[in-house]
Amino acid sequence: MNEMINLNPVLLIVVPLGLAFLTPLLGLISKKIAKWLPVVGLLFNLIVALAILPHVLKQPIIVKIAGFAPPFGINLVAGPVGMLLATLIALTGLLVAIYALKYINEGAEQKYHILFLLLLTGATGVVLTGDIFNLFVFFEILCISSYALVAYLGNRAGIESAVKYLIQGSIGSSLLLIGIGLLYGQFGTLNMADLAKQIVSSSDPSVFVPMVLMITGLGIEAAIFPLNAWLPDAHSSAPSSVSAILSGIAIEVGLYAMVRVLFTICHVSNFFMFFLFLGVLTVLVGEMSAFSQKNIKRMLAYSSIGQIGLILFAFSISTHFGVTGGLFQMISHTLGKALLFLSAGYMIYRTGSMEISSFEGIGKKMPLTALFFTIGTLSIIGLPPFVGFSSKFLIIKAALAKGELLYTILMGIVLLGTVIEGTYFFRVIQTIYFKGKDVATERNDSPIVCLISMSIFAVLIIVIGVYPHLVMKILNPAASELFNSIQYIRSVLG
Amino acid sequence: MSFLHNYIYYIGAFGLIFIGLFIMIAKRNYIKVIIGLSILETGVNLFLIAVGYISNGTAPIFSKAGIEAENMVDPVPQALVLTAIVIGLAVLGLVLSLAIRLYKHYGTLNLQEIKEQRW
Repeated sequence: MNEMINLNPVLLIVVPLGLAFLTPLLGLISKKIAKWLPVVGLLFNLIVALAILPHVLKQPIIVKIAGFAPPFGINLVAGPVGMLLATLIALTGLLVAIYALKYINEGAEQKYHILFLLLLTGATGVVLTGDIFNLFVFFEILCISSYALVAYLGNRAGIESAVKYLIQGSIGSSLLLIGIGLLYGQFGTLNMADLAKQIVSSSDPSVFVPMVLMITGLGIEAAIFPLNAWLPDAHSSAPSSVSAILSGIAIEVGLYAMVRVLFTICHVSNFFMFFLFLGVLTVLVGEMSAFSQKNIKRMLAYSSIGQIGLILFAFSISTHFGVTGGLFQMISHTLGKALLFLSAGYMIYRTGSMEISSFEGIGKKMPLTALFFTIGTLSIIGLPPFVGFSSKFLIIKAALAKGELLYTILMGIVLLGTVIEGTYFFRVIQTIYFKGKDVATERNDSPIVCLISMSIFAVLIIVIGVYPHLVMKILNPAASELFNSIQYIRSVLG
Repeated sequence: MSFLHNYIYYIGAFGLIFIGLFIMIAKRNYIKVIIGLSILETGVNLFLIAVGYISNGTAPIFSKAGIEAENMVDPVPQALVLTAIVIGLAVLGLVLSLAIRLYKHYGTLNLQEIKEQRW
């Protein structure tokens, strides 16, 4: 108990935020320092998060800002879910920052690094906060920096997608704010645990309208099916390192906030059938659109929509198993999709084209990058021994354990989506390795720094895939915190 | 009439919200869409203020003895609105700077003609 006092979860938010605003000042000393700041900040975050994580599994840490007890002050809740996602964000952010050391070499580099740090600050804030208005503020930090990062290259496609993303995203955040205002008007509190307590204990809670507004607002950021129009454009026109973060972290954080609203705050039990169908629909739409793409980044972006659908499906099974599977799928999607975007980034950079057909023979030209790309695809499809297999297997088990015909049928449809996913990914692998003439091309692989960051992703994918028990120890308490709102309320309000 | 009298702030706020949403969805010109966004945000801010407002209320400051807490306006929504205004300002700045870049690339602000990204 004693050593955990020293490590405060606030550090996870404060340090990247402070570094982001220090960047222009330190940039005066040396131009080169800017690109190292995200690496330093996120390495610090990762170490702190890993140090806090074991304590949190026993008992959540509630940080009372300025010493006000939870219903009155703003608080951070570092529970198992929050710390699990914060660790994942710090890890992915660190590896992508290492990749960006070499990859980002044109344009306003300093501003890129500032925005990158702010994006990750926002994401960490959303997963750790215990106050619903704070969630909105961190969410806006995340969104505004991702709008700006999508437009980073400043080319035609980037600006157009950023405009689309911004218009839809700002409607979404306005809806979220109206929902928060309605909840405050009804219950007079902004603390998530206090809100949940009052909603559970009131005899006739009419939270339907605020819930729908909040879910719609967050659903735009999470790219649930009818609200996903911005995603393929934004993810395909951003620089690859930004796409990796957007796909691996931004949409998952949106989905986390949505699930938190559903499970913990509104405590609904009768809407999950709707979300189950929405999840299946999202899987089908995402995978079928991905199937018809010729542009590699667009294909990966649509595949992200499919994966988000799968995660939503897993959460909507609404059993302890299902929630565990959903969280596990979040981890495997983040690792897999970040690796895919990073390796595709240099394949695009070397060939100068995003068309899949131009990747012929790249397996010989860039053997290691192609190998990492293959590992990523196999994990996303869900083949053993990669992490995607364990997470998909858990979801299938959860759906079958429900023991109803409907769940089995829907699971079958989701598996059909996986088959489609396998088809288009294997088509890319075939193009990379087996198509094209055997011209003796020079080896011209990605820079060593980028290969290091990709190899860590690949190693993690294989290690967690072979030993899923490493993360199951964290996933089980995380799922019970998310699923059991009474436990959450007790741990916050005491 | 008493309905109008009691809920006039909510009616006004939601009126602005729906006007803003309508403009954002229906208009083709990007600048008009931005104006719609601005109206929408103003509506949301007014709504938040209306949540905490009491007619003939006083400021929530205990400066003199004998002031009762009953008549005080709830300060929390006002703090929220301050934050929301700042966020809205940031979004507006970003959206306008994107408009400049959009015009440089395409030579038009008509969103119907800017459709290079397709399914």
